[in-house]
Amino acid sequence: MMSFSPLEWQIVRFTLAVCAFSTLLILPVGLATAWLLDRYHWPGKLLVETIVTLPLVLPPVATGLVLLKLFGRRGPIGYFLSQHFDVDVVFTWRAVVLATAVMSFPLLVRSARVGFQGVDQRLEQIARTLGASDVRVFFTITLPLASRGITAGIVLAFARAVGEFGATIIVAGNIPGRTTTLSLEIFSAVQLGHDATAYRLLIVCVVVAFSAVWLSEVLMKRRSMG
Amino acid sequence: MRISVLILTAVLAGCTVNGAEVNVYAAASLTDVMKEIASAYEKESGDKISFNFGASSLLARQIIERAPADMFLSADEAKMDQLEQAGLIATETRRDLLSNLLVIVVPSDSKLVIASPEELVSKSQKIAVADPRAVPAGIYTKEYLTRLGLWQKLESKIVPTENVRAALAAAESGNVDAGFVYQTDASISSKVRVAFTVAVEQGPPIRYPVALIKEAKEKSAAAKFLAYLQSASARKTFERYGFIVKF
Amino acid sequence: MVKRSPYEETIDGMKLAIRQLSLRLQQFTLGVDLDIQHPRTAIFGPSGAGKTSLLEIIAGLRKPESAKISFNGQLFDDSGRNYSLPVRLRKLGYVPQYDSLFPHLSVQRNLLYGSNRKPKDHTLNFHHVIDFLEIGHLLDRHVHSLSRGENQRVVIARALLSVPQLLLLDEPLTSLDAKLKNAILQQLQALHREFAIPLLFVTHDPAEAIAICEEALLLQAGRITARGNPAELLG
Repeated sequence: MMSFSPLEWQIVRFTLAVCAFSTLLILPVGLATAWLLDRYHWPGKLLVETIVTLPLVLPPVATGLVLLKLFGRRGPIGYFLSQHFDVDVVFTWRAVVLATAVMSFPLLVRSARVGFQGVDQRLEQIARTLGASDVRVFFTITLPLASRGITAGIVLAFARAVGEFGATIIVAGNIPGRTTTLSLEIFSAVQLGHDATAYRLLIVCVVVAFSAVWLSEVLMKRRSMG
Repeated sequence: MRISVLILTAVLAGCTVNGAEVNVYAAASLTDVMKEIASAYEKESGDKISFNFGASSLLARQIIERAPADMFLSADEAKMDQLEQAGLIATETRRDLLSNLLVIVVPSDSKLVIASPEELVSKSQKIAVADPRAVPAGIYTKEYLTRLGLWQKLESKIVPTENVRAALAAAESGNVDAGFVYQTDASISSKVRVAFTVAVEQGPPIRYPVALIKEAKEKSAAAKFLAYLQSASARKTFERYGFIVKF
Repeated sequence: MVKRSPYEETIDGMKLAIRQLSLRLQQFTLGVDLDIQHPRTAIFGPSGAGKTSLLEIIAGLRKPESAKISFNGQLFDDSGRNYSLPVRLRKLGYVPQYDSLFPHLSVQRNLLYGSNRKPKDHTLNFHHVIDFLEIGHLLDRHVHSLSRGENQRVVIARALLSVPQLLLLDEPLTSLDAKLKNAILQQLQALHREFAIPLLFVTHDPAEAIAICEEALLLQAGRITARGNPAELLG
């Protein structure tokens, strides 16, 4: 019962690769957004906060629908991509990255924002008196001091990506070998009555989730020991 | 005074005097035709028909898990056989009700023209098909394409969908180049056109069996509705939608 | 005799010109208009008089409502022309009242933050400062393991290592016991002789002002009410 077929391995590898990629993708934008939201006020800030939180609050399939309309071949972004770059998003692995990125983005931003909030800005000031540029201050003082929140954000985002289902199935479909992720395959297995497969893949999910949380705990312990 | 009239009307609308509620689980491709037949029947009989439409594979699984169905209308025999083997249907009520034809549809504004399914190999990149592992429409499609020796070549282009109506929707949206659906699905949609029809002799034998569930709550009401489904007026409606009638 | 400093870039001079500085604080308005010319000047006053705010404005960490400030000929602030030199370009060493070591860096990395040198490049200047402040044994320690006295010496050393043209110290000796206070006081006294860097020293303790500085400015409720020799003014 515990031996995995090549197809199942492919699904596990695909899921981990896609989720790692999408988490890396949202990292710069997510951190920048979190930092801007923490440090600045501007007219329309509330609108930005709301949009960033939407995927967290909307039913995932609703978010998937929005993405389908935007990135479908006839949608504004999808049409542009297919005409100018000959790139198809919907029903390809790119849609999986898109769905997981969008759904996990708010989690990263929220956690990172809390991380930035906790940074003593006086220390940033001191760094400036020592001659550091704003960029250097950000990378040598702000980021490290916010690293607990940021690490938590990355772990949450990754875990959310691995568990993503609703938006993915709408915008990427469940195409064996091409867009089928761990969650989608568990769904199929349940639908088809292949319970053994479903349980095997469930165990994989547990192992992934466990490792992610364990890793984040280790990383955060190291930080606090200086 | 007006409020109590409203409440009374609502209550009366909610319950039909002496009316039973029959739960019919039916294949997704039957959505529109069954709704029309049922509404005509409801006026005549005073009974209410509730539907659960979906892929026959999904419905069969639900019935196996003891979902409260009174009648099952499947798009292929395999799913009905599954239930029969599990002892869940009243076998004496089982019969073949309808047949259908497979067609290849394309978005209505698509310029794609094909003379045979073979041309899909070179002229398309994504083809929507109801999940060929479980859903009847997909199983029929796979059977057909395998018989033509095209399944291997087209397999990588297939986008499996949850049921045949989802395949239709995918074709309508333009996110796929073509889709395999039933003739009856194509005829209710204005956003696709039929690019190729699989002739009866060349396609797989498509059968829609119907049967009453043994543990049905509303056995007699369901039997009455089953009889109605084989009536002359029902036949007319089925044929109007493009179904091939087998009774 | 002023010892020739190993720092070639050190400027011995103190010419801090503050014109029309104004900032509304909670209880009063901070208003200062004067020149500071002694290389060891104390800003003395009771707590809440505005001493920290004044120091922060000079450092560029706080924005005044109006001010024209220049140091050794270099313009720091000119509110009339909406000009303010960024903090990092002012080359000032700032030793605040609060704990200002970077908690995520070791003592050594803290020290080297302001100097553009990699830890491996141990030059004479680095050792000189370390030895002078007697913190050589603390280099690999974690910041949170330092005592308050050790902490302050490291902060001062860090500021020195950034080769500042002026050192601003905000009550650096508070919450230190008498013995430690004296030790660091002596180091601060010698600091100017050793490194030829002018300092502006904020304190509410007359003894500190007298021990270290040549001139004291008395700040009361936001205004300089007196200035002169610390011993005469405060003794």
